[in-house]
Order: sequence, then structure tokens, then C-alpha cells
Amino acid sequence: METLKLEILTPSGLIFNGEALTVTLPGEEGEFGVLPKHASLTTLLTAGVIDVEKADKSVESVVVNWGVVQVDEEKVVVLVDGAVAIRGENENEIASALEDAKKLVKDIADSSSAIATVSAKIESAAQKLI
Amino acid sequence: MANLKDIKRQIGSVSNTQKTTRAMKLVSTAKLRRAEELAKRSRLFADKTNEMIGEIAARIKCSKVGGIESRFFAEIDAPKMIDIVFVTADKGLCGGFNIQTIKAVKKVMAEYKDKKVKVRLRGIGKKGIEFFKYNEVELLDAVRDLSSAPDMTRSSEFISRSINDFNDGVIDGVYIIYNGYKNIITQELHVNKVLPANSSDFDCKDENKRSQLEVEAEDEEKMLDSLIVKYVEYNMYYALIDSVAAEHSARMQAMDAATNNAKEMVKTLNVKYNKARQESITTELIEIISGVESMK
Repeated sequence: METLKLEILTPSGLIFNGEALTVTLPGEEGEFGVLPKHASLTTLLTAGVIDVEKADKSVESVVVNWGVVQVDEEKVVVLVDGAVAIRGENENEIASALEDAKKLVKDIADSSSAIATVSAKIESAAQKLI
Repeated sequence: MANLKDIKRQIGSVSNTQKTTRAMKLVSTAKLRRAEELAKRSRLFADKTNEMIGEIAARIKCSKVGGIESRFFAEIDAPKMIDIVFVTADKGLCGGFNIQTIKAVKKVMAEYKDKKVKVRLRGIGKKGIEFFKYNEVELLDAVRDLSSAPDMTRSSEFISRSINDFNDGVIDGVYIIYNGYKNIITQELHVNKVLPANSSDFDCKDENKRSQLEVEAEDEEKMLDSLIVKYVEYNMYYALIDSVAAEHSARMQAMDAATNNAKEMVKTLNVKYNKARQESITTELIEIISGVESMK
């Protein structure tokens, strides 16, 4: 199966670097998915969740507050201000990641409905892990 | 005998200095490790951001159409006034670290003065500020305590004044000058022209080989503008982080050299002391012997 190269970078380091089957990004004008060989595109991201379907078909979610994405045929580079990956070995770790993610979104999103939407998405992403 | 005492005192003072410099070196080593880690992690992001902006700027320049007339990407032929933001350390005792930055600032200033361009200086870091104050060069802004403890919010606030002035057409260029970290023993001076975004490292011929850049946003200019604001803010922040790492590595080196020099000095002083001691013993012996001789 074809994959694309995905890099998610924050000012404090690389949080994701690897192959992915699909990536779903929270674009400023709505969510959009990227498959391998997607046409070049550059756009802004808003507060939301990036869903990455990895080569082994498992899904990883990363919560971001602001960012910009550059897509071309082979790779996707996401530059974000702040990001929290929802992952962990056990429930405790996932729960603390969840807290961090919610805090991150709360700081940036201005409308309560946006916070609610993103929070719901974060919850459901975490639910899948537990 | 007085001479002996003097030398003894000198040895004591030099070895005390040595203790201090060694302690300072150790402190810098510990701090450097943390700062270096931070700088390394941020470097990746900084490089990618610069790459992206460079590419966008080049594509705008190559295509020349598309109606993007953002000032941030435009080439300004005859600048009237520019901003120079420099970053120095708050503390000294780090060899030529601060003076190198100051020299670079003076050089860029002189270049622009020759072209009859006004230069506004905005300084971060006590050492640089004090230097220009002493030389009666006017500073538009002077911020202390930021270069020793980089903070994203404060640095963004600081640089946003330049961004706004640039956007309003008050100034026609922004430079960030700082001494960055290269490796543990070398620092590298950076003179970065952050605004307008430069595109020199991109070849227009490549344009056709690659697919078109598509900016997917309702308002392209708005998107590019907010992107470039982030880019400049981040460049500023990165300059601070990089500068801290460089400062510690420079201080570590300077203090290492100082410790070695002190060691060397203690050694020569010891030789001198022993010589003086031997001399006084010899003199005493001669005195006794000649005393005995004269009694005969």
C-alpha cells in the first residue's frame, strides 16, 4: 500500500516523523484528508485534531492549536505552535495527555462551540485507545 | 622577607581566582547542556519554517503574477529606514562573544549609512545596550533580562513592533543579528534579514519541474501574512535560544582558558617563591658564616 511521508514539528521538537496512509487535518476552512500523491497545497490549520493512519493501520491523534501545512506529492510537513499527541502505555498516561490537550485548545480557541467540538473529538480519540 | 610574603599573597589570590573561574566553567557547562538541547530541538522547526517561507517567497517572485502584493514578500529597491535587532548576553566574561555581535551590528549600520538609509537599533541584552549607550548611539528599544531567559511571549511582543512598523511602511527591512551556537567550541555569527522574506536560495528554473503551489484559503494574503508574522516571531525566539546556547559555550571556553592561565601563573609564582626563599636562606647563611669568620 502506498504511504506518504509525514512530519509534524513544533518549536520544541519533532513529535511525529514517519510513514502514513492517510492524514486528516483541521484546515482553517474545514477538515480535509490527504492521501499519497495529493496535489501541492499550503494552508493554515486551526485548533483541532490531526488524525494519522499509520502504515500498520493504527490511528494516532495529535491535538494542535495553530499551524500551517505544506502538502506535496510525496510528503506532508505540518508546522504547529503547540501540539499534544494522544498516546500512552496505560490509562493514566492517556488521561494526562487528554488534560494537556484540552488545556492547549482552551488557550487558543475563542468560541465555546469550537472548544466543545474539539474536546469531543479528543475524547473520542482517547476512547479508542482505552 | 617582605618579598616572600608578597609572592605568597599573590599565589593565594591567583588560586582563588582560579577556583572562581573553574566554578563558573562548571556552571556554564551545566547550563550549556540544557540550552543546547533546547536549541537543537528548535533548530529543526526553524529550518523548516525558513525553507517554507523561502519557497513561497521564491514562487511569488518567479511567477510575478497571482496578485499577491504583500509588502512582506515585495522587494524594496530603495529602503529609507531599517530596523536592526541585535541580541547580546546580559553578562560578560564570555570572551569575544558580545563584541563580535556589536562589531557586526556596526558593520551593517555603516553599510546602510553609506547608502543614506536611516537605521533604528533595537537591542536585547545588557552588554550590547551598555556599549551603544556608552558610545552615545541612540537605541529605539532596549530590553534586558530577555536574552538570558528566552520567552516566546516576550520575544513575540518585542518583534511585533518591528513587524507592525514594516507593515505600515515605516521601515523597509528588518535584520536580526546574533551570535549563534555552532558546536561546543565555535560560535557562529548570524546576520539574518528576516523582512522582507528573502528567496535567494531557490532557483526559478526548478519551478516548472515541481507542481504548482496552491494556496487554499479564502484570503491568500491574509494567510501568507499570518504565516510570515509567525515566521518572524519564531526567528526572533530562535535567535534568543541559539544565542543563550552560544553564550554559555563561549563562557565555558573563556573560563576554561582563564583557569588554565591561572594554573600557569601559580606555577611561575611558585618557582619565583622558591627562588626567593632559597635566596634568603643563602643570604642568611652568608651572614652567619661571615659573622663567624670575623670573630676569629
